Amino acid sequence: MGRRLHGRGALFDAEPAGLAPRLVGLRPHQHRTTPYEHPRELPFVLLTGSRGLGKTAVLGELRSAYKGHTPVALIDCAHSAFAAPSGGRPAEAWSPVSQALLVIAEQLAEPVTGAGRIVFPRLMSGLVAVAAGGWNDADSERIRREVERILLLNEGGSWIAGFAGRWAGRVAANVVAAATGTGPLVSASIEATLESFSDSFVHRRHAKAATWYRDYPNASGNARRGLMLLSGHFRAGGTSREHAERHLVRALLADLTEAYAGMLPRMQRLGRPLVLIDNAQSAPGPGLTDAVLRDRADGIADQVVFIGALRGDGRPALRNAVRRALPEVTRRSGWTPDPAAPSSRALLVALPPLSPDDTLHIVGAACADLPVPPQLPHTTRRLTGGNPLGITLLAESAAQNLPEATSLGELLTADVRPHEESDGAPTYLELLGRLVPADRREELTVLAAAHDHDSAVALAEALLPDDFGPADIRSLQTRLAREGLPEIPGQFVGDAFVRTLLLLALHHRDADHGQWRTAHETLIAHYAPPEDGDGDGAGGDDDPVRARYRLHHELALGDAESAVAYLRDTFPSLPAATWLRSLRFIASAPYFHAHDADGHDFTGRDDRRADVALGRTDAGHPPPAGVDGVLHLRVRRLLHAVWRLTDPLALPDPKVADRLRFELEQLSNLRPAGNALLWRASRDWAEDAAAGRALRVPDEADDEGVA
Amino acid sequence: MAGRGFGTWLREGVWAIPLRRYLAVLVSAALVVGLVFVVRVLTHDDRACAAGVVHPEGSDDCVGVSTTAYDFGRPQLRDAVRAIDRENDSLKPGAYVTVALMLPYTASTPSTLSDIQHELQGAYLAQWEANHAANGQSPSIRLVLANPGATSDHWKQLVDQLEPMTRSADRLRAVAGVGMSTDNNKKAVAELTRRGIPVVGSSITADDLANGQGGRDPFPGLARVSPTNTDEARALASFAKVSAGRALLVYDKPGDPYTRTIQASFAKLIKGSPYEPQPFTPPADRTQEGTTANTFRQITHLVCDTSKETDTILFAGRHTQLRQFINALGGRGCQDRKFTLLTGDEGSYLTGEKALDRSALKHNLSIRYTSLAHPDAWAKDTAKTGGSARDAKVLSDLLARSGRAPVGPIGPVALDDGQLIIGYDAMTLVVHGIREATPDGRTAPPLADVGLQWPQVKGSLRVSGASGWICLDVHGNPYDKAVPIVELTPEGDSRFVKIAWPEGRPPGKECLPPS
Repeated sequence: MGRRLHGRGALFDAEPAGLAPRLVGLRPHQHRTTPYEHPRELPFVLLTGSRGLGKTAVLGELRSAYKGHTPVALIDCAHSAFAAPSGGRPAEAWSPVSQALLVIAEQLAEPVTGAGRIVFPRLMSGLVAVAAGGWNDADSERIRREVERILLLNEGGSWIAGFAGRWAGRVAANVVAAATGTGPLVSASIEATLESFSDSFVHRRHAKAATWYRDYPNASGNARRGLMLLSGHFRAGGTSREHAERHLVRALLADLTEAYAGMLPRMQRLGRPLVLIDNAQSAPGPGLTDAVLRDRADGIADQVVFIGALRGDGRPALRNAVRRALPEVTRRSGWTPDPAAPSSRALLVALPPLSPDDTLHIVGAACADLPVPPQLPHTTRRLTGGNPLGITLLAESAAQNLPEATSLGELLTADVRPHEESDGAPTYLELLGRLVPADRREELTVLAAAHDHDSAVALAEALLPDDFGPADIRSLQTRLAREGLPEIPGQFVGDAFVRTLLLLALHHRDADHGQWRTAHETLIAHYAPPEDGDGDGAGGDDDPVRARYRLHHELALGDAESAVAYLRDTFPSLPAATWLRSLRFIASAPYFHAHDADGHDFTGRDDRRADVALGRTDAGHPPPAGVDGVLHLRVRRLLHAVWRLTDPLALPDPKVADRLRFELEQLSNLRPAGNALLWRASRDWAEDAAAGRALRVPDEADDEGVA
Repeated sequence: MAGRGFGTWLREGVWAIPLRRYLAVLVSAALVVGLVFVVRVLTHDDRACAAGVVHPEGSDDCVGVSTTAYDFGRPQLRDAVRAIDRENDSLKPGAYVTVALMLPYTASTPSTLSDIQHELQGAYLAQWEANHAANGQSPSIRLVLANPGATSDHWKQLVDQLEPMTRSADRLRAVAGVGMSTDNNKKAVAELTRRGIPVVGSSITADDLANGQGGRDPFPGLARVSPTNTDEARALASFAKVSAGRALLVYDKPGDPYTRTIQASFAKLIKGSPYEPQPFTPPADRTQEGTTANTFRQITHLVCDTSKETDTILFAGRHTQLRQFINALGGRGCQDRKFTLLTGDEGSYLTGEKALDRSALKHNLSIRYTSLAHPDAWAKDTAKTGGSARDAKVLSDLLARSGRAPVGPIGPVALDDGQLIIGYDAMTLVVHGIREATPDGRTAPPLADVGLQWPQVKGSLRVSGASGWICLDVHGNPYDKAVPIVELTPEGDSRFVKIAWPEGRPPGKECLPPS
């Protein structure tokens, strides 16, 4: 019965009905009706979110929930079948939309419980007319192949199937004969198709369908002329083609409406037909969406449930769409269309990250027979931020690698096989393959270390080929934003989970971590303090923002001393909040490998940060001469404590958190001015760290939300 | 969905889809109706034998009123029943009245059954005569067969079925037949007459199944064709000149109305006899063999022990016991002594009786009995009054035509036992009563008026039956009816001896019973 999706109850719940059952009118996986929420007009639902939020999984689950109960079609617009015509069809007689309509109709035609196949005579005529436009220099075999596939749309699968099959063959022969004969080819093909209706035994239904194209603009009541115009518009391309495509979409919807109209169908069919469009951001998704939305806005109603998956949070064409977060539509979508704006007939539903509970369930389900480290679900959720793909793959990795792998870092670098038949690959690469655009992964891996456009340019100069310039960086930034990744000041890649994965990839790019070092060194150089006092703005010494970037990278390379020195020296002078922010940012440096005593990666599993934070190494670390030794050691312990506690790959350590509270408390005593703030932080940070939340600087306004 | 159980399939695959739901409801309803029907057919013990005839509770008998050509499972009745049905079907609706011939059609004893067959044939011939040879007198007579069961056990059910027929289009106006004088038949007659249905008894002879006992009429509307046992006994006595010292009485104890009457009449004749009457106790169903054969062997010794003058044995019992007694007498020790056994009309059952030891009759034993009628009785005018050869010829002419259409076929006829003749006469009396009671211009008499005709059947209104004149007294009993005395021959036939008269002589020409 398909796997159960976690955290998507708002869509799938049967009692009370979730969004999908309320739209389709059927309980998932059951042949039982449920009341409609929008009995007359219904929204074009688009699920939005960045990669990995489970949109494809939701559509797949929707299909399996309703397959066999109501007509369901699922197309993936990113599929290669919609990218270019196949089988020698010329581009003028093919478009992603026409191909999508054919595929959708083929899937919708399938019989369901209680009712037989659906026939699509209108769409069939239109598609034949469109295809006929490309038969100028075609051999009869290709024409036969194309026309037979289209004609099958009109095949009812009942007891008359035998006759219908013969009918399709006969009509195909007629059309081929007409197309390969002399004379106007398109017109002859259309004529043959239309004539086939009149001599067909399902005469009445077909007669109705045959007259449908009479209403095509300028057809003057002549169906044949209407189809000719359609074919011509389609070939003309541009907005004419859009016009023709809209009519094809309308033909599909009219056929579906016809299939549901009348006494007998009403007694046989439950619910509404369901069309699922994955990757609706790429063609033919927008074409289909806009056609349906415009027709609905024009009052050409249909009762087809469209649910699409849209990467990012919407195209400009959907700017008036009604937007909801998934939890908001749990009971009621609250959607009402604005008559003036077609795009308001779309309902964009943002898929939220999964909750800790869902994480617990997913990990538990994946590792059913394994003893799971108790903190694993919690840290998985902390690392992934609730990203369903991340949680699922990490859980899978845990199921395949436990108990050898002991930490999240090891689970990420360990091989995982998502499917039985697939080859193993490191988990983080598997994740990156699906979370970032494949064509820009290399660049992103490098740029993940950057913080803004300038630092990205510096990194690109150092590590990327010359043809990747500032313009490409900007377009990459825009693309990330369009795909729904959050934009966060101070980070080139806004999503913490993706950034962690990218940095991990950078770290593991070569065996000696050469590029990793180069990247950090480049940025250290980029943020190097100004040589002298001619600097801009911040004055002679060091801009705290630049300093914290620089020290962040130094710490990433294992060098904590300059960070300690900076924090120690600025403690008395910097405003407390700024100082805390600097501390937090510097300590967010990645820590992928255990560092030896010199701060260099080594292959052991030892994490010395806790030891340092707890003061166990103080004896072997004499403070530099001429500084406040107590303060120096305290800052050092504090830095390591924060570093340790905010590391997304490490489990929070309550003892370290306790120590963090103590150290901050002590520091607050030294700064009467910042006393309250520091004391507050000592409480909040310890709590946040223990709970696995991001540390908050007290009084922090959102305007400087450094992660 | 297949793996989710029948309930889910029913709810989602059938109930959720309106078309299937409606079809399922229709099919289910049809199935339920069909099931109910089948169950009813299977569980309902179909008690019907034929139209109007059913098996009574706890019995295989077929009881009821048959208005069709149903022969009660007795092939020998088939021809007569079909002839009656044919005749009934030819009647115009509304122009007929119905007469039910009440007889135990399902009796199993061959002799009883042959009596029934003959009475049925006689009744049919009378019906045919009434409908075809009576100058278009109305109303026509429809004859239906009423069976109270082999031993008349279900007389109540039958009466309950007959009574509504008097008010329905059947227009039942009389019940004829009745058959033997058993307790059940007596109760049946009592109930029928209590409900105002006239009854004409054909072969009932018992004294207490008659009106006029001590001046009372316990069965208002009952008329009889046969003389009472008392009259028979009187006729027998007048014929035999029996005296007390020469006769031994053997009687059924406790007996039924018939045997008791005979017993009483015989006892009166031999009052002061030196021999104590010898009882025997047969089974309740007197057609069964029982153990009485042993009793009779012992009585045989007593017979031989009597004094030499004793040459007459008076037997008050039913025919099965009579046969057993005769067989026992055939093996008696005193074969050299001549005995004459006198008994009532039950003796007529012995003609054609296979189980009878006929050799017994060759050893100084003659069996004489009163017959209800005998074909030879009026072969010629034996007496000037009380009957005539001309009257008898009407029936014999009819019989001559009965072998083929339009009258017959009615099956093989035999007249020796008198049942055909008496059945004919009884039916003739019924027709007479009905037609006399029918007012001018009406097609049917009022029910009550039919029974009121019986006292008038005398004088010129008498019925000249084939068995002799039928003149009824005020109680509906025949007055001085001719009683043929018949002797059983060793060949198994009956030989007419002579006519005896209850009054000792034939009635007067005017045939008026004395007051």
